[in-house]
Amino acid sequence: MTIGSTPILKVQHLSKRYGHLLAVNDVSFEVVTGEIFGILGPNGAGKTSTLEMIETIRPVDGGEIMLDGLDVRKKPQEVKRRIGVQLQSSSFFDKLNLVELLDLFAALYDRSVEPMVLLDEVELQEKAKSMVSELSGGQKQRFSIAAALVNDPKVLFLDEPTTGLDPQARRHLWGVIRKIRNEGKTIVLTTHYMEEAEELCDRVAIMDSGRIIASAPPQELVKQLLSQGFTKGRVERLANLEDVFLSMTGHSLRDE
Amino acid sequence: MMILWKLFIASLKMYSRQREALIWNILLPLFMIVLFAFVDFGGLGKIELGVVNQSGEYWLLDSLKHVQTLSIVEGTREEELKFLKLGDRDVVLVIPPESSGARLGELSLFTNDGKPQEGQLAALIIQRVCDDVVLKSIDEKSRIHVRVEHVQSRNLTYIDRLIPGILAMSIMQTGIFGVAFGFVGLKKRGILRRLWVTPINPNDFIIAQVATRLIVLVIQIVIMIGCGILFFDLHFVGSFLDLFLVGILGGIVFLAIGFAISGISKSEDQVAPIANLITLPMILLGGVFFSRSSLPGIVHTITDVFPLTYLADGLRTIAIDGATLGDVVPQLAGLLVWSIISIILAVKMFRWE
Repeated sequence: MTIGSTPILKVQHLSKRYGHLLAVNDVSFEVVTGEIFGILGPNGAGKTSTLEMIETIRPVDGGEIMLDGLDVRKKPQEVKRRIGVQLQSSSFFDKLNLVELLDLFAALYDRSVEPMVLLDEVELQEKAKSMVSELSGGQKQRFSIAAALVNDPKVLFLDEPTTGLDPQARRHLWGVIRKIRNEGKTIVLTTHYMEEAEELCDRVAIMDSGRIIASAPPQELVKQLLSQGFTKGRVERLANLEDVFLSMTGHSLRDE
Repeated sequence: MMILWKLFIASLKMYSRQREALIWNILLPLFMIVLFAFVDFGGLGKIELGVVNQSGEYWLLDSLKHVQTLSIVEGTREEELKFLKLGDRDVVLVIPPESSGARLGELSLFTNDGKPQEGQLAALIIQRVCDDVVLKSIDEKSRIHVRVEHVQSRNLTYIDRLIPGILAMSIMQTGIFGVAFGFVGLKKRGILRRLWVTPINPNDFIIAQVATRLIVLVIQIVIMIGCGILFFDLHFVGSFLDLFLVGILGGIVFLAIGFAISGISKSEDQVAPIANLITLPMILLGGVFFSRSSLPGIVHTITDVFPLTYLADGLRTIAIDGATLGDVVPQLAGLLVWSIISIILAVKMFRWE
């Protein structure tokens, strides 16, 4: 499937306030059908809050979100049926095996699925009778994606899908994500790995302190930076996306 | 409806695979019954009588040995008085050396001040046995006879009281601890959040959880009463259906309390103290292990309205007195009031996040 031009997700002037902290500050962006859209940013930038408002599990304080033509605030149940969600730190019931979990989650959408087909999709067929607690980190994330696919969603949200995985597991998961996109899904993911964004995303938005400070295809952002006269201290490549990211958000460590 | 059914089946499956649940809800209560069955409370009625026989006569000693209330040990004067001081004897009887034949010298009876009832009873028995010898010389016809008739009666034992009490206690534990720990765990580990991104109806989830635990409760009743009848000689004369109904009403009270606790607790560490604060006084004072009849006035009145007291009394009168639902209306009413109170609390305090 090729990337269309119709936006399936439209976020306008979105904001979220926790006490005095404006965690999401006037955020607007669009995601078009069939693309992999990345939201990048340091910890505490507001990525997860933004995602959770779109996913209907966090109240919207201001602004508007339209998903597949539905107002997320007015039709949360309809929206839930059209999206698949992998939460950052969600876990699953620990006394059900993978097949039983997929059956149960499908039932929550009043659907029935072929668990083995879904497990095949994320290359976990041989773990069908295992409990989630018996899976490795990468396998858990892949299962989490399978569980997000039970309702055949139009948009799949992945919150830091590769955090904590080793490079091999990460690249494997990239393959899975690409495959799912190629089958026609739109994917919105957050990450703080720049090579992941560069490798995987068609377009990215960079968030810092609750605002989107840049939004474009990764290569374009790199070009922009280079055109401003950016050079690396010791050059192997002219620059990569990581440079763009760090030049925009600063080098200092952020606390969670 | 289909969703609710699937949730219920999944929830039952998960519950049955939890080994801890089996241990806490079934094995531990059974173990407590076994433990208390070994503590032979029936044996406490015997009087420990030390006899110091300094005479050459044995007829008094022999007659006393036929009295079943007495547990007789013979020894020297010093030994026995020492044991009396230590509390190992209730009474010590000294038969002086100057006795011969039916004529005994002056008998001395040392009683333990801490056990006045045993002392009095022992004195009466010994006096009676000695008087018997004298009375034998009197004309038989002028004596008043007490004719004793033996009647087979249904003597309720400690175990009969205990088993329904433990049953009530374990219903309470399943409700309060099971729900409070379970839900706080689901919250903390992000499992509930994962559910909320699906179009699930939260009430369906709660109903499935409650239904699962009510099934567990019915199983608890069957297993504990069943084991009571099979292994502990429980005098069960009631109706299982009535037990289920009272048990379920009690279960609803404690499940609601469990939901309320899980609402105010952020982690499992906070659940335990709150749940213990609520359950321990009820276990100790609600008549589970010991009858409430010995409690002082005001405490007795307070324990009258414990939900555990209503549940334990209700289950007990049905199980061992053969009471019908009509006979336990006060208990049912008490549980009903408590269920309304606790459901209101649960609705006000329960939080998904």
